[in-house]
Amino acid sequence: MRKLLLALAALAACALVVPLGFGSSHREAPGISLDPSADNTDTYAWTAKDAPGALTVAANWIPGEVPANGPNFHSFDDRARYYVHVDNTGDGRPDVSYRFRFKTKIRNKESFLYALPGASGYNDPKLNVIQRYSIDRITYHGKKKHRSEKVKTVARGLPVAPPNIGPKTFPNYQAFVDGANRTLKDGTKVFVGQRDDPFFVDLGATFDGLNVRKLTGNQGEGKDDLSGYNIHSTVLQIPERLVTKNHRSVSGADASNAVVGVWSTTERRKLQVTDSRSRRGHGGWVQVSRLGNPLVNEVVIPLGKKDQFNRTTPNRDAALYGKYVVKPELAAILNALFNVGAPENDRTDIVQALLQGIPMLNQHSGVKGPPAVDTIKLNLGVPPADTEDRFGVIGGDTAGFPNGRRLGDDVVDIELQVVAGFLKGNKVPLGDGVDRNDKPFLSSFPYLAAPTSGFDSAPSTRVEPGHAPVPAGG
Amino acid sequence: MVTRLIAPLAVFGAVLVAMVALNNGATTPPALSAGGDARTTAARADKLLTRARETGDATLYARAERAVDAALRQDPGEVVALNAAATLAGLRHDFLGQLRYGRRALRAEPELASPLTAIFDGQIELGRYGDAARTAQRLVNSKPSLPAYARVSYWRELNGDPEGAVRAMRFAASAGGSPQSSAYVRALLGDLELSLGRLGAARAAYRDALRDVPDFPQALTGLARLRSAGGDLDGAAALLRRSTQRLALTTSLTLLGETESAAGRARAGRRHIAAARAVHAADRAGGGYPDAEAVLFETNHGSRERAVRLGRRVFRRAPSIRSADAFGWALTRAGRTEAAYAWSRRALRTGSRDPMLRLHAAIAARRTGRRQEAERHMAVARGGAALLSPLARRLLG
Repeated sequence: MRKLLLALAALAACALVVPLGFGSSHREAPGISLDPSADNTDTYAWTAKDAPGALTVAANWIPGEVPANGPNFHSFDDRARYYVHVDNTGDGRPDVSYRFRFKTKIRNKESFLYALPGASGYNDPKLNVIQRYSIDRITYHGKKKHRSEKVKTVARGLPVAPPNIGPKTFPNYQAFVDGANRTLKDGTKVFVGQRDDPFFVDLGATFDGLNVRKLTGNQGEGKDDLSGYNIHSTVLQIPERLVTKNHRSVSGADASNAVVGVWSTTERRKLQVTDSRSRRGHGGWVQVSRLGNPLVNEVVIPLGKKDQFNRTTPNRDAALYGKYVVKPELAAILNALFNVGAPENDRTDIVQALLQGIPMLNQHSGVKGPPAVDTIKLNLGVPPADTEDRFGVIGGDTAGFPNGRRLGDDVVDIELQVVAGFLKGNKVPLGDGVDRNDKPFLSSFPYLAAPTSGFDSAPSTRVEPGHAPVPAGG
Repeated sequence: MVTRLIAPLAVFGAVLVAMVALNNGATTPPALSAGGDARTTAARADKLLTRARETGDATLYARAERAVDAALRQDPGEVVALNAAATLAGLRHDFLGQLRYGRRALRAEPELASPLTAIFDGQIELGRYGDAARTAQRLVNSKPSLPAYARVSYWRELNGDPEGAVRAMRFAASAGGSPQSSAYVRALLGDLELSLGRLGAARAAYRDALRDVPDFPQALTGLARLRSAGGDLDGAAALLRRSTQRLALTTSLTLLGETESAAGRARAGRRHIAAARAVHAADRAGGGYPDAEAVLFETNHGSRERAVRLGRRVFRRAPSIRSADAFGWALTRAGRTEAAYAWSRRALRTGSRDPMLRLHAAIAARRTGRRQEAERHMAVARGGAALLSPLARRLLG
């Protein structure tokens, strides 16, 4: 969802963010602007049909990658660190984290090409640019202030699947994908690299002077403005025992270790401004981005608090941002302008659905409150649905959002309906007219569809076929 | 009925639009609301400023100013409007204004990082380097990213730590951002490498910038400096013509004029100097105050007495080391050597190793009989000779 904003920015296409030092000798460095290489776009957590007994997580970065973006293709930043966090107690603090660190090698610095035509694999010298990564598995011990970290490097030097430049450069792109699918010693599967953006939404209609294609947005005909765009993804499939609080597999939906909370973050180094020479010149690390549930960062957190939200951890969410959820600005605006009857106050329904977990479904057990924390809470004991309903829980499919988040869950429609008051009985059949991704997801790891190649680049072309009106909640 | 059902989507969108406007500063999607609210107006101001920067059209400043004023009348605490006001003030070299608007924006939204960039930029130009260091530290602590790293780099550069500046700028380049931002910091990285005499690294940085944005003007200018330093004045002039056609920066136009003159094409040289003068004038007509560069231009290509008067005025408004340097250089060329030497000392008060500042200081020291000191500055200047114009390089002696 966060990427929504950035995709919007791209759509708005008034590109120059940089003061160019016009007519002057003084420096006009860029203002605070896009930071795509650190920008968490979406986080998904679910139990895959072909992998019961494992937590599957996809965390995506770099919004709105146009496939034909040469010669400088998008990549993870070697100087940033990327995380997937798991909270297995419900306190909003990470209990297990996976940290991705990257290193890029350029084989021939004189060449401006990413790869020469016919590059066949990671060891082919024709592949001029190769990015590799390591994974640190971090576990935390002790309580609150006395917590200590234990860091274990569980993967080293694994290849990142390159951007899909085109069939001439990479006649067999799948070979790179296969080479990037790895299984670690502890049984964890991992894939890192470029993929098709699994998110789907009609932005264009909304922003073209209310030019909505099919009136309530529940009859299709929306244009998926993210179709044909790529992202960079880290996909993990972690055996349950490595993430649960008692280090055991989950026996069923009501097991005390069944629920985990998932979110992803990025951090960058702070530098010591006045002292670059000392070892401290590089300073420590600061979290610059985080993403748990879609919507929270974008629509709930007010503008002035967004930088703060991005550098804080979910355990402080209730104290710092709770009031914005209980009394969401969006619901008030909805009513002030359009009178849709959305409840404006005391929205404990939203707090519960997104931040506390639904009792008897994805609420952590054994924690008081439970605290309101922005994590994607997944009950690992709920078996995957045979047929997924894009409306997830409000559509009667308890294996979907907000019990975890699957790639196909239509979170835009779900959240519009929830903010309008679905859980309080105010069921308005809202939607954006886009019901699914432009490309089908894979039935096996890494699940996300192959990226559109630069040669085939034609972003934002899919239109949802029209269909009969769908009632609220599907 | 129809509106009633579509509306929530529109609002959903409108909220996102507003956030985009805030997040990205210059990005201004089409307004959905009826218009007239402070943030919509502020977003319009922002759009005008973006266009002003893209095109170098200073007449857009006045329009942006009207929009900013209107937005602030509607809501004096509107942070997007305050940020835009700060940006506009900075573009007009009204650095005190930039600082004040930046502080107002920070008071309105104390947890937001964006006002810190305007505050830092203002403090730097006002010569408040200690304050600027604290602002930069706060910025990089709260939101390290390209804009923060680029400012850390600039502070280090101005404070005599070019190697530290290079390291910070590499963080900025690695972090990236929009192609323009990325190209911008890579071109700056190239300039830093030039000042350290590392021509290969500079060339690589400029080429990286051109991969981000083909014909990125500052990178073309950088490559021209490399050509010029290697003795290829014709090649340098060709690149500078491309650069200035893309964006008529006074620095590049002046450099082009000086390069043409040095290549023996006096008429072409005069033509480009006249063009640079016209851009300076347009800048002032758009409400901009002259800055240190205007002083240097007047000194090298105009009236020396006028340059001295201008230099004093510019320093009073913006007491930075660059203003001190420009004023000192104007005094040197006007033959007032003792005063010039005093000002060149002030220009080096932070220990800057900028080759131009060192060159000016060397000449001021030499003219007042301080041979050893002159030689020390001159050695630093020679190390960064590639960053200097052909005109300045002739003075390296």
